[in-house]
Amino acid sequence: MQCRDVEIVVEQEGLAPLPEAARAHVATCSHCRELVADLATIVSMANELPAEVEPPARVWISLQAQLELEGIIKDPVVPAHGERAPWWHRFSDLFRSRALATAAVGLMIVVAGIMELRQGPDEVPMPPTAVVRPNGQISFAQTAKVLNEQEIDLRNMQLAGTSTSQVDDSFRLNLQQVDDFIADCERRVIEAPQDELAREYLSNAYQQKAELLSAMMDREGSLH
Amino acid sequence: MGMRMVNLSALGSDLKRGMLPVLGAAAFLCSGLPAAGAAAGQHLEKHFTVKTRPVVVIHNVANGRIEVKSWKNSEVDVLASQASDKIGFDMEQAGDRIDVTANILNPSAQPRELEANLQLTVPEETELQLKTETGLIYVEQVMGDMTLESVAGEVHLKEVSGYIIVRTTEGSLVCTQCAGKLDFKSISGGAQVLQPALTNVSLFTTSGNILFDGDFVRTGLYTMKSGKGLVEVRFSGNDSFDLKAQTTMGTVDNQAAAYLKPDSHGMMHRASKFTKGLFGTVGQGLAKVELSSYSGTIRILKRD
Repeated sequence: MQCRDVEIVVEQEGLAPLPEAARAHVATCSHCRELVADLATIVSMANELPAEVEPPARVWISLQAQLELEGIIKDPVVPAHGERAPWWHRFSDLFRSRALATAAVGLMIVVAGIMELRQGPDEVPMPPTAVVRPNGQISFAQTAKVLNEQEIDLRNMQLAGTSTSQVDDSFRLNLQQVDDFIADCERRVIEAPQDELAREYLSNAYQQKAELLSAMMDREGSLH
Repeated sequence: MGMRMVNLSALGSDLKRGMLPVLGAAAFLCSGLPAAGAAAGQHLEKHFTVKTRPVVVIHNVANGRIEVKSWKNSEVDVLASQASDKIGFDMEQAGDRIDVTANILNPSAQPRELEANLQLTVPEETELQLKTETGLIYVEQVMGDMTLESVAGEVHLKEVSGYIIVRTTEGSLVCTQCAGKLDFKSISGGAQVLQPALTNVSLFTTSGNILFDGDFVRTGLYTMKSGKGLVEVRFSGNDSFDLKAQTTMGTVDNQAAAYLKPDSHGMMHRASKFTKGLFGTVGQGLAKVELSSYSGTIRILKRD
């Protein structure tokens, strides 16, 4: 098993328990050991986040749909009582509130960043389109998809409501600004994948969008 | 899956619609108790005696300003004014924590009816957590950590110190003679930091402008980033800092070339081939200043 195989296993199945072959590789590879340790720290820190109120069903349903669509969830059936829950169900606990959903998006950005940093300088130089991953996704694609889903949910909520206050206008205007900025940064990152500054701004823009959507959904939820 | 989402959303909406009259009536009755004196166009004043450094939490969902000033008394004074009876105030004290919340009692009220201003006088050493949507947040001469959040309202701070966290969507920050640490994040709001004594500054805005006009404290760390806006730093001839300025698509306008020397610490800095950058040292390079903009202008100049 190679480093890339371990990354795929971690992406698809989570951290524990790693298959035997992956464990054997990790035991001999400091690079992968650090990756697993970093991810374990992130998950551990996320689990320590305080539990808050239950989120609206649509948040988890939307995420679940997305995870299923991407093949990360292969079996949506909830395990029988006493069975060990799959790792993604434990991960879903992170989304117990909109605030935590925002934090989780942040974590996804961090994980994406770590994955990117793991592409060491000794590896084959990336061509201009190398930001496009083997599965055709650009970096942060997972984050972008989750946020886009949330944005669609939000638009549905707004269609149901009639709120047109100064605050709502401000939110909408600023969401448009962040979307435009994300589009700018994405174009740049596709043109110049090694532009660290552009990547940093793209990452920050996603974080801001997550926070903004969270605030907008909270407000919509309190109004309707 | 899509059908399930629609059904659940509809169920949630129905439940919320069904509960609204009940909740509205309950909120009206409850809010009437603590804020009985605050009718339309009237004022409500409350005094809370505190022992040590109090924590004051304000959540103003109405339109209006929150003004906080300090005095020598061990007492928090809250003066609330409202434009209509469609807003209710909840105030409570738990030890040295004072919570004030302005609630909208009638969601169909017009914006002008939802105006609620809060004027607080607090001990000099007070921690603040203030949250508002559209009104100005003004804090003067308060020492203590503070978290200030606003959607569209501006945040003005004068002579405050502590760990200051400001979050806005489009509201701008003006921080005059502030000390301690400042952490500002906004989407379209700008930040002006004037005559500061701040040891740690982190300013980030997607499209707002940033102005830092003042001295850099030795050993201080200063990070200022704007996605599309202008980042301008005006320093004095006595300052001592290492400078790193970078932009991807914007420009660096160096109007202080005479004061910037090559880095004196032996570290060779160079902009990557994807960015335009400026690296240098003013004085001995004791503070660290990092400026960046994705597509805006970075301007560095010396004050007269």
